[in-house]
Amino acid sequence: MLIAVSSYLQLNLNDYQSVPSTVSNIDTITTLKYSRNFGSKNREAKENIRISSFDLSADLTPLFNWNTKQIFVYLLMEYEGYNGLSSSKITFWDNIIHDKSEAILDLNSVKGKYSCWDVNNNFSSNHGVMKLGWNIQPHVGLLLWGETKGSTEINLL
Amino acid sequence: MKTNVRCNLLQLSNILLAISSAFMFWKTLSVVANSPSPIVVVLSGSMEPAFQRGDILFLWNRDKYVDVGDIVVYNMDHRDIPIVHRVLREHKVIPTDEEIEKFNKKQGLKKDKNSNLKIPKNKKIKELKPSQKILTKGDNNPSDDLPLYGYKQMYIDRDNDLIGSVKGYIPLAGYVTILISENIYFKYILIGLICLSSLFSNE
Repeated sequence: MLIAVSSYLQLNLNDYQSVPSTVSNIDTITTLKYSRNFGSKNREAKENIRISSFDLSADLTPLFNWNTKQIFVYLLMEYEGYNGLSSSKITFWDNIIHDKSEAILDLNSVKGKYSCWDVNNNFSSNHGVMKLGWNIQPHVGLLLWGETKGSTEINLL
Repeated sequence: MKTNVRCNLLQLSNILLAISSAFMFWKTLSVVANSPSPIVVVLSGSMEPAFQRGDILFLWNRDKYVDVGDIVVYNMDHRDIPIVHRVLREHKVIPTDEEIEKFNKKQGLKKDKNSNLKIPKNKKIKELKPSQKILTKGDNNPSDDLPLYGYKQMYIDRDNDLIGSVKGYIPLAGYVTILISENIYFKYILIGLICLSSLFSNE
């Protein structure tokens, strides 16, 4: 209990909830897939989007203290579905940071990890907001989640 | 003689007290966290390096929706072991009128002249509500959990499948339960030790 509280207080001293980040130069590829592994049901065409290249820079060192085992960072996109009947968050890329020395991210033209599809067969909106989220995994105690300051709006093809 | 019986009875009631208070603690935690199993032990290495086998996780199940990046524990009907994985995608979905109509037709509900639903008196009916569809993935697995889901199932459901999302973590403290369930000798050694200790404490 004491460990959890002191660890939390120390992260607050680091101002961990307001870490800035910039995501830029996002290029996406849209394809039609017909297999279950890409979300298709009954061999219907399923629109898939993946990121062919993006740049990312963020300094996540404020998230590290003596109780941090690892940081899980993920690039997510928020978007609205057809007629506002659905709202979604999908992950395009993620990474695990084991050590404070790796906490400064400066990535250039990196490929996304996942090919993503919507609940419907097509992405009905062509507008999304990209954000960088993180999860602090402690050695012992409470897990914490948050998002970095800064978001990028993108137009899907 | 009389005191001996009393002594034994007192010992028995102490044991019962210990068992019942442990049960009460578990059930209270269950009500507070709104989860059938508020504490779980990690059984697989699919979330390494975040969680190893034998780690204890504390769950919370009172948030209406889970978020991307959350680590959730879900239980599928055709599997007996709950799975601890991270949310890769989430979709909050409101059903369309057509879908609701289709769903009601499937239950055998019909409409009257004013297009209101005729609901039979003694029949329980289900309602198609807004839901959250989730796709999960283990950090240590190369791809998402689609192969784990049922036939033609593309997502798991927030309300039907989730036991809770992980909030607290203690490493390795639950390894005893893995030893008990997977090592045939450990169980007997443990029982033997408990018997021995009770023999000595009697004197």
